[in-house]
Amino acid sequence: MASKIVTLRVNDREEEFLARPGTTLLGALRDTLGLTAAKRGCAQGACGSCNVLVDGKPVPSCLVPVETVDGAAVATLEGVAPTGDLDEVQAAFLEDFATQCGFCTPGMIMTAEALLAENPDPTRAEVVEAISGNVCRCTGYEPIVNAILDAASRRRSA
Amino acid sequence: MLANIHLPASAAEAAGLLEGGGWLLGGGTLVMPRVNTGAVPVDTLISLRAAGLDGVRVADGLAEVGAAVTLARLGEHEELAFLRPVVRSIASPPVRNLATVGGNLFATQPHGDLAVALLALGARVDVLSTGGARTIDVGEAVAHNEVVTTVHFGLPKVWRYRKAMRRKHNSASIVTVAAALVVTGGVVEQATIALGGVASTPVRANAAEQALIGRPLDLAAAEAAAAAAHEGTAPFDDAYASAWYRARVLPVHVRRALLGED
Repeated sequence: MASKIVTLRVNDREEEFLARPGTTLLGALRDTLGLTAAKRGCAQGACGSCNVLVDGKPVPSCLVPVETVDGAAVATLEGVAPTGDLDEVQAAFLEDFATQCGFCTPGMIMTAEALLAENPDPTRAEVVEAISGNVCRCTGYEPIVNAILDAASRRRSA
Repeated sequence: MLANIHLPASAAEAAGLLEGGGWLLGGGTLVMPRVNTGAVPVDTLISLRAAGLDGVRVADGLAEVGAAVTLARLGEHEELAFLRPVVRSIASPPVRNLATVGGNLFATQPHGDLAVALLALGARVDVLSTGGARTIDVGEAVAHNEVVTTVHFGLPKVWRYRKAMRRKHNSASIVTVAAALVVTGGVVEQATIALGGVASTPVRANAAEQALIGRPLDLAAAEAAAAAAHEGTAPFDDAYASAWYRARVLPVHVRRALLGED
């Protein structure tokens, strides 16, 4: 059992910590770094509630042994609005009733952030495909899809 | 309980480590769900993330894809655009950012749609162990001490792909049909058809291929191929569909795939 030193750039901050073998990126974020926005849902990569961005790409962080992404840049929901002012995606989720219990919301928002960074003007079908790996048991998805489209238009006109 | 995670810098180093036991880890989408249960009979993972198996080369009608290339990257490759529908039919975009080409060969049915496509393409697979390298047909058994390093295939002249799912995105296969055809002067000269979702592994539809060869690619030939497609299949029940349903809709999807119908 050899723990290893792992270095990550998390939300533009250098972090260095010890990780036991088998520690997932999700586990390191939540339990070592105290960043609890990403949620442990299924632990199988099927629900999207743990999605964070690794080098700009959304991935289920429960499927990533943290040692294998040593040196990567990681973005979590905590980094989206560091000053407390909501960004366009968060504001749209709030105002368009796209969040109810909130458990899926961090993963949904990070997946949406990745989509909009790559495609600032997505079609409804593209939004649906982008969040096809994010499970929400409350909203029925329509308000979430609407919020992401709304966020895209807010960001384009900002 | 895991005790070691290795990050070898080459396939040869990975093969050396594998002699000591453990599981290979591509993107983690198959292995980590099991690891996360905390009850895996393995204490060592060997990640291929840094092993230099992430190259894609397309030249002279041949593609050479590293085993650790992600499905997302495969789907973005301009010269492999014909594989985009295959990639987009598998899981969700975040999972495709992790899942690898090599890993898909080990996905159990009704998953593993890329493996179905690679079977239709007649892909060859390079594997490496401490005993040396060899090249096998896709679908042939890989030994426990072997590392899949590269997948090769020729670009198809005519390509058909169709996956029937419960939902439009992110669902396992009910029936997957992939076909690489050579059509000369309106007549099917060669046909390689592979099926997913209808047996415990991807299967070639030899009888359907024979029904198609020598005929124009029209409704009558497609229906003849569709009628013959069940030969060699052994559909199963699972949470997505019953064996009965899979057998019932298989010919419909074979016909639609061959004719490029929606």
